[in-house]
Amino acid sequence: MVFEYNCIMALTPEQTHLLDISHHAKVFLQGSAGTGKTTGGTLWLKKLIQSGIPAHEILIFVPQRTLAAPYDRCLQDEPGLAQSLVTTMTLGGLARRMVELFWPVVSPASGVAFPDQPPQFLTLETAQYYMAHIVLPLIEKEGFFASLTINRNRIYSQILDNLNKAAIVGFPIDEIGPRLKSAWVGELDQLNVYDDVQECVNRFRSYCLSHNLLDFSLQVELFQKHLWSSPLCRNYLTRSYRHLIADNVEEDTPISHTILQEWLPDFDSALVIFDEDAGYRFFLGADVESGLALRKTCDEQVKFSTQLVNSPEVQALRTGLQSTIAHLSGNTSTSTIPDFKAVTTALGTPAENPRFFPVMIHWVADQVRQLIDSGASPGEIVILAPFMSDVLRFSLANQLDTLEIPYHSHRPSRPLRDEPTTQTLLTLASATFPEWRLFPKRINLAFALMQAIDGLDLVRAQLLTAYAYEEQTREFPLKPFEAVPSEVRDRITYQAGERYDRLRDWLAEKTPEDSQNLDFFLNRLFGEVLSQPGYGFNNDLNSANIAAVLIESIQKFRWAMDTPAGNNDLSISKEYIQMVMEGVIAAQYIQSWQQDHQDSVFLAPAYTFLIRNQAVDYQFWLDIGSPSWYQRLDQPLTQPYVLSPQWQPSQTWNAEDELAAAHETLSRLSLGLLNRCRKKVFLGPSDMDVSGYENRGLLLRVFQHVLLEARRRSR
Amino acid sequence: MILSADFTFSQSNLQDYRDCPYRFYLRYVLHTRWPALVVEDALKFEQRGQSGARFHRLVQQWLLGVPEDRLHALVTGDPDPDLGQWWENFLEAIPPLLDGERFVETTLATNLAGHRALAKYDLVLVQPDGRLIIYDWKTSQKKPRQDWLEDRVQTRLYQFILACSGGVLTNRAMVTPDQIEMRYWFAPNRTAPITLTYNTDRFEQDRDYFTDLINEITDKPADSFFRTADEALCRFCVYRAHCDRGTLGGDLEDLEDSDRQPEGFEDLLDFDQISEIEF
Repeated sequence: MVFEYNCIMALTPEQTHLLDISHHAKVFLQGSAGTGKTTGGTLWLKKLIQSGIPAHEILIFVPQRTLAAPYDRCLQDEPGLAQSLVTTMTLGGLARRMVELFWPVVSPASGVAFPDQPPQFLTLETAQYYMAHIVLPLIEKEGFFASLTINRNRIYSQILDNLNKAAIVGFPIDEIGPRLKSAWVGELDQLNVYDDVQECVNRFRSYCLSHNLLDFSLQVELFQKHLWSSPLCRNYLTRSYRHLIADNVEEDTPISHTILQEWLPDFDSALVIFDEDAGYRFFLGADVESGLALRKTCDEQVKFSTQLVNSPEVQALRTGLQSTIAHLSGNTSTSTIPDFKAVTTALGTPAENPRFFPVMIHWVADQVRQLIDSGASPGEIVILAPFMSDVLRFSLANQLDTLEIPYHSHRPSRPLRDEPTTQTLLTLASATFPEWRLFPKRINLAFALMQAIDGLDLVRAQLLTAYAYEEQTREFPLKPFEAVPSEVRDRITYQAGERYDRLRDWLAEKTPEDSQNLDFFLNRLFGEVLSQPGYGFNNDLNSANIAAVLIESIQKFRWAMDTPAGNNDLSISKEYIQMVMEGVIAAQYIQSWQQDHQDSVFLAPAYTFLIRNQAVDYQFWLDIGSPSWYQRLDQPLTQPYVLSPQWQPSQTWNAEDELAAAHETLSRLSLGLLNRCRKKVFLGPSDMDVSGYENRGLLLRVFQHVLLEARRRSR
Repeated sequence: MILSADFTFSQSNLQDYRDCPYRFYLRYVLHTRWPALVVEDALKFEQRGQSGARFHRLVQQWLLGVPEDRLHALVTGDPDPDLGQWWENFLEAIPPLLDGERFVETTLATNLAGHRALAKYDLVLVQPDGRLIIYDWKTSQKKPRQDWLEDRVQTRLYQFILACSGGVLTNRAMVTPDQIEMRYWFAPNRTAPITLTYNTDRFEQDRDYFTDLINEITDKPADSFFRTADEALCRFCVYRAHCDRGTLGGDLEDLEDSDRQPEGFEDLLDFDQISEIEF
C-alpha cells in the first residue's frame, strides 16, 4: 500500500510504518542503500517540526557534512516550516565547537603551555605546515624515513592520519608505533620507519602543546577526555538538543559511536540510520560494528528492505555479483544464479575488449552520447574509476567535449597554487622582497608580467625580464623600462613599458609591514594596480575570486602562526610562499567549485560518488581490470586495519589478511555502486592500463564469472 | 528570478542591497569575491575585529556559565588592553539586567515573500513578565544616535523575526510586537544599553517593507542591479576598484560613523568551518 504524505510524496509501506512510530521514540533504522532510509529521515524531521518541536532542539549528526544535504534541502524547500534552525554537526564540528566554547574550563587540564591564552585551531593545511616544520629537519639532518622513496607531503599527511586515527579510535598516541610494529611481518627496515613515525608523532604533539595549537586529533581528544564528562558542557548539549537524527552511522568513527551511545538516553527522541553493506569511510576510521551496536540503545528497530532504486535486471546482476564474491572469499551464498537475459540487460560492454586505454575512453564517450540522444538526462549518468587521475580526467574531458556532452568533475583541473593568478601574485611578491631570498626565475617573472600587464605577450615579457630584471640580488631587482636598450623597447612597445613602470614603481614603494603581512600587500597590489585598466586582471571576476581565496589562505596561515609562544624567528610571508612551492599548502580548490552542476555527466572516483549517496540511472565503471578497485593504497607510514578498533594486539598482518581485505573492499564497493544504479552499468575494460601494463584484475574476472554462470543456467 | 529558491535573506545581505544593489549582485548572485582592503590601516582594523569577536565569545561563555575566574584569567592575558575595560563594563552594567531565560547565540527564521529570512541574536532574554529582550553587543567606540539605530536593517529585521517566530522560545506562547525590545549595548561605554521598543504598527510597516524589498530583489532582471548613487558608501566597499570608484581603502575612524562592521572575523565564532575529515 502506498499513500500520499503531505500531498507531495508517495511513501512506501516501510516509510509509513516509520512515520507511524511515536516521535518520542528512539528508533534504529537499518537497510541497504536505495531502500529510502534518508528520505524516511527527512520525513521524520518534518514530522518532528510539524508536531511543534522547535527546530533548534533538533540535532542532525552525520559523519560528513555533505551527507546532511537532504535534511537542509527539505527545510529550504519549505521556508515556512521551521521558525528556527536545526543544527547539523559532525564529530569534528562538535569537538571544535565545544573546545572553543569551553576552553577556559578545559585548558588547565589540556597540557598546553599557556592555559590562559586562547588556542589556535589548526586546519588540515596549517597542521600539515607545522608537521612539515617538525619533520623536514628530521628527514634532512637525521635520516628519518631514509628507506622510503615517497613524496614528503605524503609523509606529513600519513603521520597526521595516524594521530587522527588514535583520536577517533580512542587509543593513546604513544601506541601508534608499537601497534604498527607488532603487526608487521615483512622487511626489518620497516620497523625503523614505524619508530620514526612515533618520534614524529611525539614531537608534533609536544610542539602543539607548547604553542597552544590544536590539530584535529587534539581537539577530539580534549573533547572526549575532558569536556564530554564535564557537567557544564554536557548540560549545555543536553539542554540545547532534545531530538537526534543520526544518519549514515556506519560511516562514522568509534569515538562518535561511543558518544552517541552515552548521549542517546538523554534525548527525547532519536532516529539512528544505518546503511547495511557500507562503511566506505573505513580508511578514515569508520567502524561499522560499533555503529551497528547503537541498535541496542534504541527502543525500536525498523528494517527497510524494499529496493526502490534498482530495476529487476540490476537487482539480478547484484545478486550474481554478491554470490560470486562470496564464493571467492570461501563463503557459501544462498543467492540464486541470475537470469542471463537480466544480467545482459543490466550490463553494457563493448563488443570486443579494447586493447588500449584510449579506445576504451572513446567507447565510453560514444555510449554516453547514445544514451543522451536516446533521451537520458546527462545528470543521470556517472563515469567512475577507482582513482580519477589527471590523465584519465583529461582524456575523458577531451572526448566528452568533442561529442558536446556536458560534464563536471569532482574537482577542477588544478589546485589553487597552480592557478596562473596565484603564481603571478606570489612571483611578484617574491621579486619585491629580495630579503626573502626566494628569487623568482627569469621565466617565471616573465610569465607573471605577461599575466599582469595587458598587451604583453610571453616573447615581449621575456625580452623585458632579460634586461630589466636582475636575478639573485639583495636589492630591489626590477629596473625601470628605460634601462632596456631602445631597440628592445621598440619591440616591447612603449605602452607596455609604461604599464610596467607603473607596476614597478608601485612595487618599489613597499614597506616593512608589507613584507610581514603578505595578504594586505597582495590586496593592495590587486586593487591599486592589477585590476586597473591596462593590467591583466581588469574586470576579471574569475581572477579576483582566485586572488581572494589565495589571500584568505595567507591570512589564515598568518593567524595560525600567531601563537603565545611566538614564531619570531620566522618570516611568515616567506614561509607561506615556500610551503606553497613545496606543495604543502594552497593545495585546495577554489570554493566556487562547490556549487551545483546542473544536469551534466559526473566524473569521479568511485568512493566520491558513493559518499554522495545519490542514485543515478546509468553508471560507467572504467578500467575494471585494474587492481585499484580492491587493493589498499600504498601507505608505508600507516595501516587502517591495524589502527582500527577490531585489531587485536597480538595479531600480525599477513598475506591472507590482505587478500580477505581485498575481497571485502571489492564486495563493499561494487555492491554499494550497484545499490545506487537504477538501470544499467557499462563496463569499460581495456587490456592495458593507462601506463601500458596488462589489466586482469579481480573485478573483471568476477563479472566474467557472473556472465558465464548466468549463461550456463540459461542452457 | 536570478536568486535560487533556497536563497536565505539576512540583515547583512539586505543591508548590502539597500546600500548598493550592484554590490548585492556581485556578492550573492555572481558569488564574486574581490580582494581589497576595507580600510587603509588594515592591521588595526583586523585587530579591532578580532578583539570584538573575542569579546563576544567571552560574553557567550559567561552566559553559558563558565566560571568567572577562568574568564578573568583569559581577559588578563588578552593582548588588547581594551578588552579588559569592556569586560569590566559588561560585568558592571549587564548582569543585573538579565532576569529571565537566556537564549544565547540563537538563530530564528521566518518566511518572507516565499524565502527564508534569518536573524542571529547575541542573546534573547525571555523575561518572567513575558517580555522578550534582544541584546546586541557592540564594540565600536562611537555610540550612534537612537534614530539611526532604529532605521537599521538589523534592528528592524531582528525585531520583526522575533515577533514572527519568538513562539519557539516561549513554549508556543503567543508573542506580540509590544512584548519585544531591542537593546544595543556598547562595551566601551559604561552607560546603559540603548533600548528600542517595538509595536504592532512598526511590525506591520516592517512586514510590508521587507516583503516589498525581497520582491524587488527577486523580480529584478540581472542588468538592473545598478551601482549606488551615494559614492560615500563606496569608501568601505571591497568592490570599489572593480566599479572604478577608487582604489584605496577608507579611513578607520570614519568607518565607525558608517553602518559597516568589520567582516571576516566570524570564523572565530564559526565552529563548523573545519574538522570533518575529507573523504
